[in-house]
Amino acid sequence: MKTTDTPSSSGNALFTPSWSNWLGALIVGVVATVISALVLPAITTLWIAGAASALVAVTAVVNAWGRYIGGLLIAPAIAVLVVMNIFPLLWSLGLSFYNYRADRQTLRFIGFRHYERLINDPVVWDRLTTTATLVVLTVLVQMIFGFLLALLFAKQFPLRRYLLILVLTPMMLSYVAVGAFFRYYYDPTFGLVSQVANLFTDEPYVLISSTGGAIAAIVIADAWMWAPFVMLLVLAGLVSVPKYLYEAAAVDRVPAWRRFQSITFPYVKGLLMLALLFRTIEAFKLFDIVFILTDGGQSTETIALYVYRQAIQFNKTSYSASLSYVLLFTVIVLTNLYLYLANRRAKEG
Amino acid sequence: MTLSKRSLISAAMAGCLGMSLATPAVWAADVTLNMAVPDWPPTRIMKKLFDEQYKAKSGNNVKLEVDFIPWPDYYTRLNASLTSGEQKYNMAVSDSQWLGAFIEGGYYRKLNDLIDADPELKATLDGMHQAPLQAYGTYPYKSDNIYGFPQMPDILITYARTDVLCHADEQAAFQAKYGTKLPCSPEELDGMDWDMFGKIGEFFQRKKGDMLAGKAADDDFYGIAYQAGKGYDFSSMQVNGFTWQHGAGIWDETGIPNAQAEGVVNSPLAVKALDHYLSLLKYMPPVVKTGSMDIFKTDELFREGKLALNIEWIGFAESAINPETSKVAGKIAFAAMPGLKKADGKIDRTSNIGGQPFVIMTWTDDAKIKEAVDFVKWWLSSDIQHQFAAAGGQSAIKSVYNDPKYTTYRPWNRTWAAGLEWQQDVWHVPQFFELLVQQQEQFDLAVTGKQDAKATLDAIAKFQQQLLEDAGLIE
Repeated sequence: MKTTDTPSSSGNALFTPSWSNWLGALIVGVVATVISALVLPAITTLWIAGAASALVAVTAVVNAWGRYIGGLLIAPAIAVLVVMNIFPLLWSLGLSFYNYRADRQTLRFIGFRHYERLINDPVVWDRLTTTATLVVLTVLVQMIFGFLLALLFAKQFPLRRYLLILVLTPMMLSYVAVGAFFRYYYDPTFGLVSQVANLFTDEPYVLISSTGGAIAAIVIADAWMWAPFVMLLVLAGLVSVPKYLYEAAAVDRVPAWRRFQSITFPYVKGLLMLALLFRTIEAFKLFDIVFILTDGGQSTETIALYVYRQAIQFNKTSYSASLSYVLLFTVIVLTNLYLYLANRRAKEG
Repeated sequence: MTLSKRSLISAAMAGCLGMSLATPAVWAADVTLNMAVPDWPPTRIMKKLFDEQYKAKSGNNVKLEVDFIPWPDYYTRLNASLTSGEQKYNMAVSDSQWLGAFIEGGYYRKLNDLIDADPELKATLDGMHQAPLQAYGTYPYKSDNIYGFPQMPDILITYARTDVLCHADEQAAFQAKYGTKLPCSPEELDGMDWDMFGKIGEFFQRKKGDMLAGKAADDDFYGIAYQAGKGYDFSSMQVNGFTWQHGAGIWDETGIPNAQAEGVVNSPLAVKALDHYLSLLKYMPPVVKTGSMDIFKTDELFREGKLALNIEWIGFAESAINPETSKVAGKIAFAAMPGLKKADGKIDRTSNIGGQPFVIMTWTDDAKIKEAVDFVKWWLSSDIQHQFAAAGGQSAIKSVYNDPKYTTYRPWNRTWAAGLEWQQDVWHVPQFFELLVQQQEQFDLAVTGKQDAKATLDAIAKFQQQLLEDAGLIE
């Protein structure tokens, strides 16, 4: 068996059977897959395509062996990325141009009709507005509380380590557990909030009885879970501030606010921006807590919940794929805009 | 005569061979039926009975592998499994509304050929009440095409706290306030209409510390509850009953393509019915204002001792009478669901049927289909149906539920035979989930006080008309 042939070096080499002839294997694989797709059942085609892919992979590895070590080392990661991320992403992008439902196996090309429909759909805009409201409120609350917690834990005090573990616990819990916990927490009959309110008002307190109350309930639950994440990032910035800066400021009798503005904030600004970016992207996908707490009731249905209904409950696979791409596009645009503004400010600074 | 050792061994081997040839060989194959089921008492009882008693007629070693899936996620999980193509399940306990979607998708197998080929099974089905058989089995609804066998038929009934309702102080106070007797015994509760149900709701609005049944209430207490939640079908199932009782209708799938949604779903009578349903919510526990008072919440409130009356599926009754899961076990009576008193004094109790059928998946091979049918026949056999009813289930087979023993098994069984006569079902068309989700969203807006009954039904009717026209089901 040859291991160092380069099949592209001559025309004949392309058709030479060799373990290193990856190009020949690719051509054979594609031809075999296309033929089987035309004449054989889909499941057989799937296996043939799989075998062809494996053959191409093996020949590519043999061909690269000893010559492209770097490429070979990252090849497994690239392969996993392609199989698990890039291929499904492209596949779903393709699906969004068809009229495909998961519960029917019919496929019809309809071009941009789904995108046209969703842009003109007032329900989609309503869900996007709800999502934007929740994103702004929940991220704002998380940032404020996360920052305050970080300032608190940056100081040394008794039981600090144990309290820190307790404060970090929510972000280690599953969304479902947090959702179920808060559902009982807010319950007008059994919930702690209502029981405490009842002591003062002699009436059960129903937080989720209005849109505002339901949004507050979601924001509190999400912030409870993720403010510790912001705290963790900011805390990393705070502990990296050299102590001598504070000492120098103390000698100069710099007021506390000025110390914060000139010393503390510049050190944590970058991490704070990172936390803002992460949490904003995550908040755009807000689903679990809303699903458990309100199921989208009281006008709290987010775009992620709407996509779930279309995809999983109504089996409108193609339409939900197009919705997902609009969501992805929105997040990418916002992220890039944010990075652009952050970079510009950094340069100005 | 002396025999050598070799001769003896040869003779023994020949003898064994001769015996094995003379005896017909019986090969017991291992067959596993994989089934998806909702996780609740009726399916738990089924699995227990199977494990304890089932012996396949074929002689095979048949195992029933059951995935118990929580109710709120059941549709989503089963739908995901079926549409993903994993072909994990041979059978499922399906909700009747899903028939259209999963039959059109090619997942549920038509059963007519199996029934026609099996006189015993045909006779069993012929001996069933038509309401559950049509609701659980037929697609299109009420056609001759059979896709399901009843697993657990179910209806809505009244759960009542006898210790509160029958207390002398409450009886006297109610009599003084309304000039009529507070229904207390199961027979009296059977005669309750929605008007009386509302009075009881109004009467039992007790705060913590108020007197309740002769002592201070340890928590707030409410008279009535029924489902009014946004999730799944947790308001439609109750609203439909009101709609039919008031003489209005939902979109009639048996009238395709001429049956309309607009003008029917939002007719003046339908608006009146929805208004009636909404008018009683003010007497219910405050969780109703959140849109999350589903069948699980009302069940929990009742078992925790916060309610005098609850309208609930029979499937929950077993946990209500179990002291391990219920604080009010031993203090409960069961009666028919209230209805609307008509001009002639009779009570219309038309209601939405609950319960589920067994279905068999299209990819199940012949050997497993045979075992699945044998299992269904075993399940529907008189002896097992009696055992199921004795353990807390229900039977749709007339000879079983008409047996005098039947009403002695569980206190709610007395409501069963009469209740079955009032049952109708909601849509079975493939678009049912879109219809249901939009309807639930609109009902939720009404339940939480964001819009009135007319606006709610107008929005539902408009949506249904458009969706069903697009699907070609309305011309």
